Amino acid sequence: MSTVTETHEPSTHSKEPHVLKPERSNLGLMRPDHSKSVIIDWLTTVDHKKIGIMYGAIALFFLLVGGLEALIIRTQLAFPENDLISAQRYNQLFTMHGTTMIFLAIMPLNAAFFNFLVPLQIGARDVAFPRINSFSLWAFVAGALVINFGWVLQALEVMGLFSASGPTAGMNDFVPSMGWFGYAPITGKEFTGAGTDFWIMGLQILGVASLSAAMNFVVTIINMRAPGMKMMRMPVFTWMTLVVSLLIVFAFPAITIALAQLMFDRVFGTSFFVTAGGGQPILWQHLFWIFGHPEVYILVLPAMGIVSEVLPTFSKKPLFGYAIVVFSGAVIGFLGFAVWSHHMFTTGLGKVATAAFSLLTMAIAVPTGVKIFNWVGTLWGGRVRFSAPMIFALGFVWMFMMGGFSGIMHSSAPADAQQQDSYFVIAHFHYVAIGGIFLAVVSGIYFWLPKILGKMWKGNLSIWVAVFSTIGLNVTFFPMHFLGLLGMPRRTHTYLEGFGWETYNLVCTIGSYILAFGIFLLVVDIIRCFRSGEPAGDDPWDARTLEWATTSPPQVYNFGRTPIIPARDALWEHKHGPENRRIQYEEDDGHGIHMPSQSWMPMIASLGFVPLGLGLSLMQAGVAFMGYVAIFGLFMIALGVALWAIEGPGGYHLHPEEAK
Amino acid sequence: MKKITHGFSRLLSLSFALLALVAFGGCDLNTKMSTFDVKGPIAETQLDLFMLTVWVTGFIFLVVGGVYVFAVIKFREKPNDNSPMPSQGHGNPLVEIGLIGASVLLLVIIAVPTLQAIWYTHDTPLNEQSKLGNWYTGDELSEDAEEEVLVIRVIGYQWWWEFEYPQLGINTANEMVIPAGKAVHLELRSVDVIHSFWLPRIAGKVDLIPGRANAMWIQAGDNFERWAEKTGADGSELALQAAYNTYLEEEIHDYYYGQCAEYCGDSHARMLFRATVVGDDEFAEWVKSEAEGHTAPEGKPWDEWYKAYDSNPDSLTGDLNEGAKVFMGRGKCIACHSVEGNPRALGVAGPNLTNVGERLSIAAGWLNHHDEEDVLQADKQYENFVKWIKETDVVKPGNLMWKSNGNGIGELLDPEDPDKIKLLTDEEIHYLALYLQSLK
Repeated sequence: MSTVTETHEPSTHSKEPHVLKPERSNLGLMRPDHSKSVIIDWLTTVDHKKIGIMYGAIALFFLLVGGLEALIIRTQLAFPENDLISAQRYNQLFTMHGTTMIFLAIMPLNAAFFNFLVPLQIGARDVAFPRINSFSLWAFVAGALVINFGWVLQALEVMGLFSASGPTAGMNDFVPSMGWFGYAPITGKEFTGAGTDFWIMGLQILGVASLSAAMNFVVTIINMRAPGMKMMRMPVFTWMTLVVSLLIVFAFPAITIALAQLMFDRVFGTSFFVTAGGGQPILWQHLFWIFGHPEVYILVLPAMGIVSEVLPTFSKKPLFGYAIVVFSGAVIGFLGFAVWSHHMFTTGLGKVATAAFSLLTMAIAVPTGVKIFNWVGTLWGGRVRFSAPMIFALGFVWMFMMGGFSGIMHSSAPADAQQQDSYFVIAHFHYVAIGGIFLAVVSGIYFWLPKILGKMWKGNLSIWVAVFSTIGLNVTFFPMHFLGLLGMPRRTHTYLEGFGWETYNLVCTIGSYILAFGIFLLVVDIIRCFRSGEPAGDDPWDARTLEWATTSPPQVYNFGRTPIIPARDALWEHKHGPENRRIQYEEDDGHGIHMPSQSWMPMIASLGFVPLGLGLSLMQAGVAFMGYVAIFGLFMIALGVALWAIEGPGGYHLHPEEAK
Repeated sequence: MKKITHGFSRLLSLSFALLALVAFGGCDLNTKMSTFDVKGPIAETQLDLFMLTVWVTGFIFLVVGGVYVFAVIKFREKPNDNSPMPSQGHGNPLVEIGLIGASVLLLVIIAVPTLQAIWYTHDTPLNEQSKLGNWYTGDELSEDAEEEVLVIRVIGYQWWWEFEYPQLGINTANEMVIPAGKAVHLELRSVDVIHSFWLPRIAGKVDLIPGRANAMWIQAGDNFERWAEKTGADGSELALQAAYNTYLEEEIHDYYYGQCAEYCGDSHARMLFRATVVGDDEFAEWVKSEAEGHTAPEGKPWDEWYKAYDSNPDSLTGDLNEGAKVFMGRGKCIACHSVEGNPRALGVAGPNLTNVGERLSIAAGWLNHHDEEDVLQADKQYENFVKWIKETDVVKPGNLMWKSNGNGIGELLDPEDPDKIKLLTDEEIHYLALYLQSLK
C-alpha cells in the first residue's frame, strides 16, 4: 500500500506524513476508523471492497451448506424406499436447500460482485451510501441466522432438550419444511410449526437487506459515474447490476406484502390465506411469483453480465452488439414481470390467461436467445484464449443454452402440464442455476480474484474444477429430464420400486458427488490463491474495463484521481486504441480524497433483526418471554438507526503520495 | 499438461459411459407413469406438443451449438501466434435483426399448436358417445345425468384421495374406476392443503386447491371417431365397431398409476392413486357392487348381526366375526370409515372402505399387493393390512389414523415398548386384517 497522509482540515494540505487517528463522533464516542484490530476494522467497515469480500465469503459458506443439504437429499434418493432420513427431515432439507441456494448463496455471491466491482467499473470512490451498504451486509447476516436457527432447535429437539408448547405445539418441525415457495395453506399454523415462522421472518429480513442494497446501487450507478462514463459506455456487468437492482426494487415489495400477510395469519390470526376465514390460498401464489419470476432474472442477469465481460476479454474483441445485449438484458428484466403465471399453469387459470402467459413466456426466449447469439458473435473472428475464466464462461454459454431449451419446452402450457412439479423442472432450473449461474460465478471468481486479492491463482487446478463440476452437473441433472418425463414428481422423500426410476436416480446421485468434488476443489483453489498466490499485477488479462486500471488489490480509495472516460471499454481503448482515447485523470485539487468514517451503527441496527425475528417466531412455539425479545429487537433497530443519524457522517481525507 | 489431458479424457469417457448407461441401458420409456406411453387424447396432445418443442429446440441447438463449437475451435489462439490484433467489430445490426426474426418464426411454430392445445385440453367435450345415457348400462339415471358425461369429484386429503361419483351415488378412495374411450369430467377440490392430480399416461396435472373448485377432463383411449380417423380403418359399421372394441380391450383396459404432484406435507411421497380403466359392462357391475356394499359376515343381514353384537358379542365367533367386532368396537374404525350397507359404519374423515378387499393397493397406493399382471395376491394383502394397522405412522408419517382426537391407533402406546401400540393386540389386528380382506 502506498504511503498515505491525512489531514483533519481539508483546506490546509500538510505535506508532513503522520499517523491516522480516529476522531470523536457527534455522540462523543470514538469512531472505529483506523482501528488496529482487524476484527473491528472489518466489522465496522464501509469500504465496498471489504463488504464485497465478506458477502462472497459468507455466500461461499452457504453454498457449501446448501450443497451438503443437496448431497443428503441425493443420498436418500439413491435407492427406492430408502430410509436414510425421515420424510420430515427430507422436507426440511429440500426447503432449506432451495432457500439457502437462492437467498443465501447465489444472491449474496452476486452482491459480492456488485459491491466489489461496480464502483471500480464506473470510476467511483465507493457506493453512494457506504453505511447503508454495511447495513445491508449485516441485515443479510441477520436474516441468514434467523432462517437457519431452526437447525439449532431441531438438534436440541432430537437430543430431547426442547419441544414446542405454543400454538404450534406437537409440531416438532423447527426447520422450515414447506418448500422454498411456501405455498399457502401448508404454511398455516395447523400444518407447519415454528420453522415456517423462522422462514417468514428470515426472508423478510433478507428482503430488507436486498432492497436497501439495491437502492444503493441504483443511486450509485446513476450518480457516481466518473466524468465521461456515459450510460452507454458502462461495462455490461454494471448495466446488469443496474437492471437487477431495479428488479429487486420492484419485485421484492410483492413478497414483502405476502410475507407480512402470512405472518399476520400465523401470529395475529388474520385469514388472508386461510380458506375457513374467507381467505384465498391462490393469492399467495400470485404474489409469490410476481416476486419469484423476476427473482429468477435477479439471479441470472449478473451471471450474464460476468460472461459478457469475460468473453470479450479472452477473445480480444469488443462485445458483439453491446447496445443490443444491454437492451435485451433490460427487456428480459421487464418481461420478467409479465410471465409469473407460467409457474401456475396447473392451478386452473383458465384458457385466456394460460394462453397469454404461454405466449409471453415464449417471447422472453427472444432476448435470451439474442444474448447467446451475441456471445457467439463475440467469439467469431476473435482470438480465443483458454484461461480458466474463459473455460467457465464458454461452459456457461453451452449449459445455459441447454437450460434455455427446456425452458422453451415449459412455455407450451399443455406440455408443461406433464412437466410441472416433476423432475423435468428440476433438471431445467439446475441447468440454469448450476450450468448457468454457478459456472458464470466461478468464471467471475477466477477472472477477478487476481484483482480482489492481488494474487494470481495457481496452476491447473481450475481445469479440474471445470472438469468435475461440468461432468458432475451433467451426470446429475441430465437424467432428471427422463425421470420427470417418466413421471417422478418433485419433493418426494422416497419412491416405490418398479416405476423405472431406479437407475436414473442412482446415476443422479453419483453425479451429485462428482459435482460436489468439483466444488470442493474450487474452495481449495481459492484458499491456495489466498494463502500463496503470486502477485498478479494490475492487469493480468489485458482486460478492457476500468477496474483493471487501478492497483491489485485496489487502494481503499480506488483511484488516486478521478479518471475521465473517453470511450466504452475504457482501458482497452487506452492501451490499444487511438491517441485520443487515453484515460485522463482529473487534476489534484490538493484537498485529498474524502473518505467516509466507519461506524458500528449500521451493524447494531441490522443485528436488531435477530431478536426481532427469533422472538416473533419462538413466541409461536410457546417459548416464554419471546414477545419481549421481539420488542427488544425493534428497540435495538430503532436505537441503531437513531444513533446512526445523530453520530454524523464524519469522514477524513487521504492524500495518496503518488496520485495516478 | 499431458497428464492432465490423459486424466481428463479418462474422466470424460467414464462420464459418457454413465450417460450411455442411462440413455440406453435404462431407456425403457414404457413405464408405469411414463408421459411417453400415453393412452388417450389429452396426454397424446401434450406429448405431441412436447415432441414438437424437442424438434424445434433440437434444431436450434444443432445450428447455434454447431456455430458455437466451430467458432471456439476456429478462432482459438494458436501457439506463437503473431498475427495482428483481431478486427475490432462491434456488431452487425442486420445479423441481429435477422436472428431475432428467425427466433420469432421458430417460436411461432410452437405457439400455434400450443394455443390449439390449450383450448382443446381445457373444456370437457360433450360428444354423444360420452354422454352417460348413451353408454351407461347400469340402473336408471336422472334425466339430467343422461345428457352429461360422467362426473367424478376428486377430493384431496393429507394423504389420500376421495373419488365421488355424484351421478351414480357412490364413493370410493385411492383407486378410481373409469370407462374406456369416454370423456370424464373431474371436479377437483381439497380439504386441507394443495394437492395435484396427475395421471401421466392419461393427462397432465391440475391442482386441487382449498377454497376453489378446479376442473379438468380425462379420457382413457380414443373415442370411436378419433380412433377411426387415426387408424384409417375401413369396413362395415359392425366390423369397425368390433375392431374398435378390440382396441379398447387390448390397448386401453389397464391399471394406470397416478400420484400427487404438489408438495402437501410429510407424506407427500406416499400419496399415490390408481385408475382402473374398464369396459362399459364391467363399469356398471362395479358401480352396482359399490352401491350395494357388504352384508355382515357369513351373509347375515346387519340388523341381525348388530342385535347379536349389542346383546351378546361372544355369540359371534369365527375369524370374520372377530374382525368385524374389532372394526365396529375396539378398533374405532367406524369413527372415520364408511362401508356401504353397514348402517353404523358412516365415518367420513377417512377413505370409504367398501370393496377395500378388492383394491390392489392400500395406504393411497403405497402398499401394493398385486403381481405384474395386476392380479391380487391375498398373502401380500394380509401382510399389508397388518403392517398398515400396526405401523401406520411409519408407513405414512403424520396421518390421522395414528393420531386423531383420541380415535387414533397410536394414541395409546405401550409405555414399556413405545414402538408398540396398545390399543389393539396382535390377535385383534390379525382378525381385523382378515375382515378387511373379506370386504369385496
